[in-house]
Amino acid sequence: MSAEDIRVQWPDLPAERSLPRPPGHAGTLADRFARAGRPLNTRCGQRGLCAGCTVTLHDGRFQEHTGEVITAPAEIKACRGDVPPGASARLTVPPRSIAVHRPQVVTNFKVNVGAAHAPLLPWVPDGSDHAFAIDLGTTTVVVALVELATGRIVAEKSDLNRQVELGDDVLTRIQLAGAPAARAALREAVATRTLDPLMRAACAAAGVATSRVAGAVVAGNTTMLHLLTGTDPTSLGTAPFRATFTDHRVLTAAALGWAAVPPAATVHLLPGFSAYVGADLVAGCICTGLHHATGPTLLVDLGTNGEILLRHDGRMLATATAAGPAFEGGRMAHGTRAVAGAIAHVTFPPGQFSPRLEVIPGASGVFGLCGSAYVDFLAQARHSGLLQPAGRFDPDQWTEIPPAHRQENGNGRGIRLLAGNPETTVTEGDIAELLQAKAAVAAGIVTVLRHAGLTPADVERLYLAGGFGLHLDGPAAIACGLLPGFTPAQIEVVGNTSLGGAWLALVDRTILPEMVAVSLAAEVIELNLEPGFEDTFIDHLCLPA
Amino acid sequence: MSTLDLLGQAIAFGKSKDAKAFTQRALDEAVPAGEIVDRALVPAMAAVGERFKRNEIFVPEMLIAARAMKEAMALLEPHLVAAGITPKFTAVIGTVQGDLHDIGKNLVAILWRGANFRVVDLGTNVPPARFVAAAAEHRPHLVGLSALLTTTMPAMIETVRALRTGATASVKIMIGGAPITQQFCDEIGADGYAPDAGTAAERARALVEAAP
Repeated sequence: MSAEDIRVQWPDLPAERSLPRPPGHAGTLADRFARAGRPLNTRCGQRGLCAGCTVTLHDGRFQEHTGEVITAPAEIKACRGDVPPGASARLTVPPRSIAVHRPQVVTNFKVNVGAAHAPLLPWVPDGSDHAFAIDLGTTTVVVALVELATGRIVAEKSDLNRQVELGDDVLTRIQLAGAPAARAALREAVATRTLDPLMRAACAAAGVATSRVAGAVVAGNTTMLHLLTGTDPTSLGTAPFRATFTDHRVLTAAALGWAAVPPAATVHLLPGFSAYVGADLVAGCICTGLHHATGPTLLVDLGTNGEILLRHDGRMLATATAAGPAFEGGRMAHGTRAVAGAIAHVTFPPGQFSPRLEVIPGASGVFGLCGSAYVDFLAQARHSGLLQPAGRFDPDQWTEIPPAHRQENGNGRGIRLLAGNPETTVTEGDIAELLQAKAAVAAGIVTVLRHAGLTPADVERLYLAGGFGLHLDGPAAIACGLLPGFTPAQIEVVGNTSLGGAWLALVDRTILPEMVAVSLAAEVIELNLEPGFEDTFIDHLCLPA
Repeated sequence: MSTLDLLGQAIAFGKSKDAKAFTQRALDEAVPAGEIVDRALVPAMAAVGERFKRNEIFVPEMLIAARAMKEAMALLEPHLVAAGITPKFTAVIGTVQGDLHDIGKNLVAILWRGANFRVVDLGTNVPPARFVAAAAEHRPHLVGLSALLTTTMPAMIETVRALRTGATASVKIMIGGAPITQQFCDEIGADGYAPDAGTAAERARALVEAAP
């Protein structure tokens, strides 16, 4: 009989609660919190780089992966180990260590094509007269409630995809979902714990009864659509990376296990290109009008996977590049999504180092940077000479930085954008991650162009879509080498075109056949099989000279 | 500074063009190719690996240094062959079946070359049978398996099992890749694991030198 008992004091609960050890548990203390349904803020992916999952140990012991044992009282990072088996402990979780999602995701998008008003779903005035456009992302889910009579978006809600608690990246989820029980749990996480509450909240915000929802159109990456339908995604996890389906599918809410809307509500899943170039990119293609372009045109959708689509000479080439979560704030010492209190833009005025910051309003303090601020930082710090091409701070310029803007510790050197505020620090470690992310995207773009015999200068238009959407500064993306060899005039920032495409398909029924045709017409390139891709990637690692 | 010092520095800072130019200059100065490898390339890459291990440099700097070394090596290889110089050890390396990622594997291959291994690189998506065939053909001291995806870790288990039967049963096996841990290495019966490419070179030498 084990005497193990871990007591936790939460900021939002009156009394201490017990934290169970899940059956067969061999993970970290942070995993236990996630399994208990109260995840900590493990934004660096449990790599020990950030302080997001710090908790206070009042009694007991904590054993790190390295074997080192920490005894109370201490501040511990819950991702670095666990309370030893059989031992007891008492913990307090500070408010800032709880994973919360402030729904401030970029839900706006640009639509570049004309749309007729001919809704996909038949509607009954004052009956079932609304429907949802849904962007189902790996990390974030956005639902938009649309009034079918007008095509107007009457409410928008977004939240974390609750599957994150079971596995924060796509591959972990694919691996888990090989087992039927875990597959059911993943499906439940997205249907019952993510989409149902979001759809109810959107209806409530608009004052529309959920019984009036006629259906939905869903755009998302191929893995998310497999998990939504309870399809075994195992074949997506190993080469040759085959999807069980990428075609347009029509189901009912009941078949998907959605309880918030009537069981007979019609749900359309948009078609995708391939295992790693999904319906989200097909939606983006239609939304930007890329398929009608006459000259060479690119769509770059920046998420954890950078997805790239080139239209040229009647051909469509599509690919996915492993950018990682850096541009979404993941794995950064102080990265965050675009939420209130996050730094969105950075400029370095000439003279004494004193960066000018643009902070997303709505919070009392400043904590963290979102993707657009990191892109600005790379461009500005390289331009001023503070950053060397390989991503290190120039030793001479470093010593000129006022001490309140500098940080030097075990994690190397960092610049505090706000003097004296450690939560605004950009470290050399962050820069190394950003360089790899931007090199993956840049090399993907260059490789697709090369495949078509083109260079960046030949491109008429580059649509830049994704989570940092309308925040991103095109010239900074060029200056840091994320979009190498382009000029600002070529670039148009278009926002969340996955949601935009789902909305279009919903309001104009002629859009879906176009999407189906496009999804079948593209040739998909596997970058890892492209000769010279690795060299191209390394070529783009450094910041431009 | 001597040409070899300059060459070492060019590699450490990942300056490919300079690395090629100084390699050529050293050859023009009639420095034997083997000496260029031993006195410039190997110490420079060892220092890079060591600094990486200590967290003093990051992946991008490691990758550009490794490429500079690769370019220098390409110039030297014909001279080494002509001089009849063969590395002391042999290793076979590849990314396991189902996985197409090879940047990490290529980095380890370069560092193993720098640690006096002849490296036979089987590429990516390598089925267990091909590892076994290559191990039987080249009689390596060491076989290296790489996997970047969690989903391809089972293929690593299969490969170790295949290598452990028959004529290749006693070969030393090292594994690595983002999702791999020492615990996984112990579970599947591999001989060594390294968390990064710098450590991989050091571990490889220790494994083959300890072998009877």
